[in-house]
Amino acid sequence: MISVYHYMILSAILFAIGSFGVLTRKNMIVIFMCIELMLNSVNLTFIALSRHLGNMDGQIFVFFVMTVAAAEAAVGLALIIAFYRNKESIEVDDFRLLKW
Amino acid sequence: MLENYLPVLVLIGIAVAFAVGSVVMSGLIGMKKPSAVKLAPYECGMPLVGSARERFSVKFYIIAMLFILFDIEAVFLYPWAVMFKRLGMFGFVEMGVFIAILLVGFIYVWKKGALEWE
Amino acid sequence: MEAMLFYLVALVSVISAFFVTKCRNPINSALCLVTTFLCLAVFYVMLQAPFMAAIQIMVYAGAIMVLIIFVIMLLNIGSVGKSRYTHGVAGAIVLSFLSFIVAAKFIAGGTVSKAVGDISAEVVQSYGHTELIGKAMFTEFLLPFEIASILLLVAIVGAVILSKRKV
Repeated sequence: MISVYHYMILSAILFAIGSFGVLTRKNMIVIFMCIELMLNSVNLTFIALSRHLGNMDGQIFVFFVMTVAAAEAAVGLALIIAFYRNKESIEVDDFRLLKW
Repeated sequence: MLENYLPVLVLIGIAVAFAVGSVVMSGLIGMKKPSAVKLAPYECGMPLVGSARERFSVKFYIIAMLFILFDIEAVFLYPWAVMFKRLGMFGFVEMGVFIAILLVGFIYVWKKGALEWE
Repeated sequence: MEAMLFYLVALVSVISAFFVTKCRNPINSALCLVTTFLCLAVFYVMLQAPFMAAIQIMVYAGAIMVLIIFVIMLLNIGSVGKSRYTHGVAGAIVLSFLSFIVAAKFIAGGTVSKAVGDISAEVVQSYGHTELIGKAMFTEFLLPFEIASILLLVAIVGAVILSKRKV
């Protein structure tokens, strides 16, 4: 029988893979996709626990996470386009004006 | 619970089988006499102009971005529509405020000319 | 039967999530990410949250992925072949593995409390999942719902300002 622990371990694995992608990739869009992956793994935890605890609140929370993710996608990708216009590149290494 | 979704599984199975089947079958039993013209991407019988992988205008992006945000609005409407009878006037006002706020954004986009094709 | 389905879908989702980070071409990463999203939708169905599965496909696999693929094609970065597309792999492996270990330790060490709410599988069956969501959303979570509209408004304005060439 599949318990809530299975889902939580799975979402921990997905979260670790997502953070690995964020740390290693240079392409800004792929980093963005990995952030979406991490958000989704957290959503899985929310829904698994909401189901386990017999409470609807977690699923409502996932609803709002999806709203925030959509807003983030719109603004984040607009930022990527604005970066690309300035530098003709979307590699994160090219954006280090603030680096000391 | 899960048994109710068996038709979805069957549909996915048929779709995958059809897609894989047509690719594999056309590879196996189709005739192959390639030539430069045949291998070129089809473009309405005209000679090709440039590559298909060309950057296209940012105007498309604005439309796609607006689609995503109003898509979220539509997603919020589903549970509201199911509950509409029971929420009554309260729910109506609630959703009215929600849509009014998003309407401000829509008017902004319109006035800014983001929907115009220039 | 259910356990078998779980392990199969979990395997597919982990493998495709790995290829999101691994694929050199961003378009391939995006397609792998769609696969992961679909696997998560299957999990939501298994967790008796069919409405969540539907909006997962509508919002994530539908809208957000379309936008991402749009931007990839817009900037035409699919075919750019840089020799090095990653950096700091060793350190990232250690860090992400450590974060997984910490999470797994908390999950294994902690005890999840017994069910306290009243939403059981039978309740979901008889009322319908969408209705339960609607009931919670439009009574208990009224304020977050209205704030979400303001967030969407800000996102619309911000994205138009950022992406319009001449403001």
